[in-house]
Amino acid sequence: MKDSIRKGYLANITDKYVRGQMDRRDFLRFAGKLGLGASALGMGFGNRPFFGMSSAQAQEAYQPSPDVIAWLKDVGKPFAGTTLKLATESTPPSNAINSQLKKYFEEATGIKVEIEVLPLEQVLQKLTLDVASSLGTYDLYYIDQSWAASFSQDVFDPREQYSAKADLAMPNYNLDDFLPALVDGIAKYEDRWVGVPYDIPIFIMIYRKDIYEKLGLKAPATLEELYTNSKAITDQMGPNTYGYAGQMKSGHYALECEWTSFLWGHGGSIFNADKKFSGNDEQGIAALDYYSKLRAIMPPGVDGWTWDGQGQAVAQGVAASMLSWGEFFPYFDDPSQTKISGLCEAVVPPQPIALRTVKETGYGEIPGVGHQGGSSLAVSKYSKNPDAAWLFMQWATCADTQVGITVLGGGTGPTRSSVYDDPRIKANARVGAGTTRHLQVVRETIANHMGSEPDLPEWAQISSDTIPVGLGKYFAGGYGSSKEAMDDIAGQVEGILKG
Amino acid sequence: MHQSRGIRTLRTIAGWLVVGVFFFPIYFWTTVAFRNAKDIFNWPPIFVDFEPTARNFEQVFGISLGFGFGAQEAVTPGGGNFYMAPRLWDSIVIASMSTVLAIVVATLAAYCLSRMHFRGRHEFVNWVLSTRMMPPVAVAVPMFFIFKQFSLLDTYLGVILVHGLMNLPLAVLLMKSFFDDIPSEIDESALLDGASRWTIFRRIVLPMAKGGIAATAVLCFIFSWTEFLFVLTLTQTSIKTVPVVSSTFVTSIGTAWGNMAALGAAAIVPAFIVIMLVQRHLVRGLTMGSLKQ
Amino acid sequence: MAVAQVKRIAISDSPIPWLAPLVALLVVFTIYPLFYNIWLSFHEYFPRKRAIQFVGMQNWQQLWEDTRFWSSLGVTFVYFAVALVFEIVLGMAIALLLDAELPGFGGLRAILSLTLVIPPAIAGMMFLLMEDAQFGVLTYILNSLGLLDKTTPILATSSTALAGVLVAEIWQWTPFMVLIFMAGLRSLPAEPYEAAMIDGASAFQMFRRLTLPMMSKVIAVAVLLRGIDLFRVFDYVFVMTSGGPGTATYTLSLYAWQQTFSFIKWGYGATLSLVSLAIIMVLANIFIRVFKVRW
Repeated sequence: MKDSIRKGYLANITDKYVRGQMDRRDFLRFAGKLGLGASALGMGFGNRPFFGMSSAQAQEAYQPSPDVIAWLKDVGKPFAGTTLKLATESTPPSNAINSQLKKYFEEATGIKVEIEVLPLEQVLQKLTLDVASSLGTYDLYYIDQSWAASFSQDVFDPREQYSAKADLAMPNYNLDDFLPALVDGIAKYEDRWVGVPYDIPIFIMIYRKDIYEKLGLKAPATLEELYTNSKAITDQMGPNTYGYAGQMKSGHYALECEWTSFLWGHGGSIFNADKKFSGNDEQGIAALDYYSKLRAIMPPGVDGWTWDGQGQAVAQGVAASMLSWGEFFPYFDDPSQTKISGLCEAVVPPQPIALRTVKETGYGEIPGVGHQGGSSLAVSKYSKNPDAAWLFMQWATCADTQVGITVLGGGTGPTRSSVYDDPRIKANARVGAGTTRHLQVVRETIANHMGSEPDLPEWAQISSDTIPVGLGKYFAGGYGSSKEAMDDIAGQVEGILKG
Repeated sequence: MHQSRGIRTLRTIAGWLVVGVFFFPIYFWTTVAFRNAKDIFNWPPIFVDFEPTARNFEQVFGISLGFGFGAQEAVTPGGGNFYMAPRLWDSIVIASMSTVLAIVVATLAAYCLSRMHFRGRHEFVNWVLSTRMMPPVAVAVPMFFIFKQFSLLDTYLGVILVHGLMNLPLAVLLMKSFFDDIPSEIDESALLDGASRWTIFRRIVLPMAKGGIAATAVLCFIFSWTEFLFVLTLTQTSIKTVPVVSSTFVTSIGTAWGNMAALGAAAIVPAFIVIMLVQRHLVRGLTMGSLKQ
Repeated sequence: MAVAQVKRIAISDSPIPWLAPLVALLVVFTIYPLFYNIWLSFHEYFPRKRAIQFVGMQNWQQLWEDTRFWSSLGVTFVYFAVALVFEIVLGMAIALLLDAELPGFGGLRAILSLTLVIPPAIAGMMFLLMEDAQFGVLTYILNSLGLLDKTTPILATSSTALAGVLVAEIWQWTPFMVLIFMAGLRSLPAEPYEAAMIDGASAFQMFRRLTLPMMSKVIAVAVLLRGIDLFRVFDYVFVMTSGGPGTATYTLSLYAWQQTFSFIKWGYGATLSLVSLAIIMVLANIFIRVFKVRW
């Protein structure tokens, strides 16, 4: 039996077993016929693909390419014994590399890799201290897209590294394989590449197919449809099930993310061509009014939720749809974690009512409903082992490793075009834990619907404080009107940009 | 004091009730550690009726306990994302050593401040107290640069120093008030007999203040055990304590509530053992130091 | 008793060797940060230039116009006062209640101190989960008791958010007070109570006339220690509400943290920390004077 067919069959009977349509003995018997020992039976239950898989399953699902290992053995020799350090947010690629994949790299090269996992703003603080004192504590930087401007001068441009050090260049590394939209949106600042795209969480439309079908609704194609569909569900099924769940915690970056999505979708932008805050123009007000309207049909707890509460609301069947990070999708399909395995469907974000071009905005923002929150990986200029770090970076972002990350990291979005077509990825496109059946939607969203936030050093403060605090105050009834709220935020943003 | 039986019963019930209210969140949190995600988020919330799983603990400790539901496979030994057992060890080392440091330095100083009269003593104690007033945020960044200078970054010694230090004002103040409780007539008569300060301190006062030392040590241990900011800033990859690694569970794609609760519940145990060990001294020592009997 | 003689001997003892280790450690690790922060408050870090540059009085002037600063100051005072009052009163009541050898009370005292063992940030997460409007167990209990409307999310409503955060704060730190008060209660002499009993004093009279005055030093220590920390703590607010909704729970310590760590404005962060330090020092000194605390 072919491996992919075998896996598909296993997934199928696993789902049956999990739903109680098959008893344990039958399940084990079938599984035994598939040539699987008891140790491989974790698929679909008990494990936590949301946070990475276990080792037995990892070996089943992913083995590194012998070519890559051979190359690592070859070029890594002079660096054996070196230790590399990287500070990163707790994201699927970093977790998959840290817990499962880095051992392949370490065994082949003799280079030790230490990964420090921190909350995002702590990563920023550590990088800033490293840069401010030119310490070189960290050999590699994990750079959130919103910091690209700040750190562009502190890292090597990977294109230069690739051509300057031919002896260290990975064969077939192929810089052109990175999705061009991501290179523009995440890695590029002015003319430099600030590392390569490493991770791509992006907003996609996730909805409950069963509920939509029951009420005779179609997947929302426009923002207006998103509202009318959601309202219909809340009207008929509330307060047990609501049509939509948002991520609206006051003062949290999550609120800014969702707002930006709606802002861009209404033809607005955060900054206009004069580099002035434009959330308070006509389109900006329309967007905020739409957001308030949508909020009225969301569950009452939504004002306290980040994407975490939002995801739980969908996972527990409290909400029927959300426009949020694609990484949630495989989690929803995991029957051990949620009540809605197999019931969700992913589509590209709703069509915008109007859309500005990049030229009509300031600070390089890219309007689009599919808000992205990607990050890049780069070698620090202060590193004491830049060559070893460059080897690690190529390995960590090469196509083969990305396949491993996607399979082991629970269906996270790859940043390389070829990975989406990899047979190992396609084999996982079935209902169940760690599914990749949403990835084609992710790919299309990146290509055609992606929205990117502006690049300016003050953005960390504006995006994680000024805007979400102002919006939170508005939703808590702290302003008289949407216009008043937006004008106030505009004033504060101007103040920050001046200071 | 003699109380009627009715009052005693009432008081017993009230005591249990009050502590029950305070204990409830810990109970609930501990049950979360034994739940799958789908049993954590519910309406109405589930209090007892859920399918227990040891998965969260298995992942945190990198071992397979083999109980729970379904055919679970082994977790990655020592390699999973949430493998935190060594961090528990780091916490224990740092909390105990920094407690020893704080207690030794503070006991010496507190005895002196309790027994010796010198000009500016009141102001001196105020100054010691004021060193606790600086917001930790403001101390963390300069500390980072000092530590870098002395190669203390990411070392046990560095964190132990800073935690010991952070607890000094608290320890000095508490120890002083405990020494104050021990009648100074004892010292004075010994002094008249020709004993040195050091002898009196070691042979007479220190044994009497055992309970106070125990109470202070518990608090120092707890403050070091729960400290977040200094460990965050002053360590990198070799050491980390429980509060800091707990933030690993808040991932970019949601929070691993079950694992976080598992580590939280597991982290209660060592600290609780310390409290229980000290508890006996606490009760006995404090009453011994007084004139109650 | 030969008071004069004793005093002479006491004075002849030098406090220097006893205090030297303490002073050495405190100077290195606190005086330096203090001066560093004063210096930093006249500078600012510019991420683009990778440099700390002199900005004169700019940070201090900015303080006056900064509405966020003033509103955070107000929230901080409310938070400080409410938490302190609740923790003292509850702490004293529970300490008195548990200060008896009744069935299981030894265990109860130990269990109560468990709340202190949980890192504040995790305690914040616990209460965040319990106060969630959709899934929270505390929300559920309050709903069932008819004390809360299901459509009112505790942490996302301006009028209730601070109370929601304070619940976590008070839950965690009341046992701290109990621990200290209990130690104080246990060291009280028995004779005055016996005399008062013979005089037929009521329990309340004994508490007011005997316990409170004799405990004054212990209470002062507890109030100072917790009061100082209340100005510095931000974990609960940070984790549970991010200071929201709007700025309804935004405290000064959270502001200083964000300026330093999230916005990388080290200069302004240092300025805010110094303001906070100054306020605590003034308050502590007033307290020490008013309550005539002599060390």
